[in-house]
Amino acid sequence: MKLNIGLPKVNTSKLKRKLLGYNISDGLVYRIAVYILLVAIAYVFLYPLLRMISMTFMSSADIINPEIDWVPQNWSLTNLRVAWSVLSMPTTILNSLWYSGTLALAQTFISAMTGFAFARYQFKFKNFWFAMVLMSFIIPVPVVLIPRWMMFITAQNVTGIKMIGTVFPQLLMAIAGQGVYSAILILIFFNFFKMIPVVLDEAAKIDGASSWQVFYHIILKMSVPTIATVFLFSFVWNYNESYITATFLRSALKLMPLQLGLFDSIFEKMSANVPGASGAPGGQFRINESFKMAATLITMAPMMIMYLFVQKQFVEGIEKTGITGE
Amino acid sequence: MKQRKNKPSRSFQKQQSRTGYVFFFPWMIGFLIFTLFPFLYTIYLSFHKVSLNVLGWTTAFNGIDNYVTALLRNPNFTPALIQFFLSEIVYVPTILIISFILAILLNGKFRFRTAFRIIYFLPVIVISGSVMNQLMNSGNVQIGNVRRIFIYQIMESYSPALADVIAFLFNNFAIVLWFTGIPIVLFLNGLQKINPQLFEAAQIDGATSWQILWKITIPIIRPILLVASIFTVVQLGMFPINPVYGMIQTAIFDTVGGLGVASSYAWIYSLVVLVLIGAMFFILRDPSKDVYVVNIREEQAEKRRKQLKSDKLRASMDRFFKKEKEASDDEA
Repeated sequence: MKLNIGLPKVNTSKLKRKLLGYNISDGLVYRIAVYILLVAIAYVFLYPLLRMISMTFMSSADIINPEIDWVPQNWSLTNLRVAWSVLSMPTTILNSLWYSGTLALAQTFISAMTGFAFARYQFKFKNFWFAMVLMSFIIPVPVVLIPRWMMFITAQNVTGIKMIGTVFPQLLMAIAGQGVYSAILILIFFNFFKMIPVVLDEAAKIDGASSWQVFYHIILKMSVPTIATVFLFSFVWNYNESYITATFLRSALKLMPLQLGLFDSIFEKMSANVPGASGAPGGQFRINESFKMAATLITMAPMMIMYLFVQKQFVEGIEKTGITGE
Repeated sequence: MKQRKNKPSRSFQKQQSRTGYVFFFPWMIGFLIFTLFPFLYTIYLSFHKVSLNVLGWTTAFNGIDNYVTALLRNPNFTPALIQFFLSEIVYVPTILIISFILAILLNGKFRFRTAFRIIYFLPVIVISGSVMNQLMNSGNVQIGNVRRIFIYQIMESYSPALADVIAFLFNNFAIVLWFTGIPIVLFLNGLQKINPQLFEAAQIDGATSWQILWKITIPIIRPILLVASIFTVVQLGMFPINPVYGMIQTAIFDTVGGLGVASSYAWIYSLVVLVLIGAMFFILRDPSKDVYVVNIREEQAEKRRKQLKSDKLRASMDRFFKKEKEASDDEA
């Protein structure tokens, strides 16, 4: 058998070794190739966002001008201003924040409880229910949406309380653990709780703590970072969710993604009031892509700003799900 | 709670089960009411004509009429469904392969690693239906024009439907890439858990990087591949890339067809999604549990058992003869 252990040949020049390395994966050439590839793909990732930002600050003359590709010649904030008013801005963002914040709170709490039950207790049919948690992720939303909608219409008619067009239906579903991607949040908690030593629970129980006290004083207080991660994920997903929200809210409350979806029609309505502006070809208030891009930027902005500060939590959060096998 | 504690007859296990259910109860109720029941009820609805009147919801059985409407009468649904199916088939492997390659590249130690990770994860935070719609409509996601490429034109002449899907893939490549955010993290996490000694051992035995990738990394990462693929299938269904999704929503508020037709849409669509996920399970299942391998193992086990039996038999016979011999010796 030929021995292959790193005995470097004497006649190998230093340069060659530096370029190719002992193994191909630690040579300079490989590294440069990796960098080029990573940067290229990162460019593709960011391309739509960069385009969007560049278009946001272009004046209407710049957009038509074929010579201008990336950097606008006449910087203007008109697009942002128009998009701001079309999205009826300060109200919409406040609505969005409290709406997704409420749902996220409910979701976080219920996921923590469910995760705790799975991590600490042996109950009957546990494996079956765990499989059901995973199933709830796989079942497509449209197939459960219709009966849910019918239920809330019925509830509205029977009780006389207004349901459709309020936060109630989604809040109720979040409290019942059936919000957006609930299964993933449960998995994050489940895996984290499993790592907390059981000895702590037992010690507290010997001292006479009830299960709720153990849950609150030991488990929850020890897992503040995890709670924060789950809350952030839930917040982001609820903020970006528009399918279920559009079904239950209709257009009763102005929320960011919904307003963005209706941007064209709202713009039409609003620009009709500007005398002599709408419909005129080349006029300042004809809808164009840069208005839409500005609106998209405004919609994304809150999440992007948040991501800048807490990006570590997000990436680690997915690792905490433990779905990569432990 | 206190009363229960005073009863000494209840065993620890029973009490555990009870407390477990207390914590689990809200989710269980929610699942039964908001997921399991609707899931089954949609099947029921899809065979009925549903209408809302003063008395509440009324349903009247009308056989497979809704399905006929969905598949044959509505000119848009079937093509949209086919497009959805084809696009999943093309996108899921693309997303998985790209995210796997990216994870391998990101796995090494080099500068700006975190910065790249942050960039690749960014889409998970900002992606939403309306944002995607706006970006796709503005044409800002298109890099290059695939329709000019010769191979593409050949393909178009064979299968226009598939060619459309591939054109869409390239025209919206950036958006499709955006779905790699979570799979990358999953793969990366899996790669970091592989024992580096395995690689060293393979290198000492003279394996090349390529061999190591196929013989060590991919088999170990296979379960993660399954998780990531299911996640991708589910995610891809949830955004405007999927034409069926919006169609079902419009059907809910459509007064002509009513909820019956909407349910049949939803049910057909879900069936397709579940079949896709089933296919993922089938393709990426653990091969060591294959019937063939199991058979071989059982055969070997059987052989060993037989061997053991004959060994025992021989031993007992030996013992017997020994005894007899000893007995005869004694007699003698």
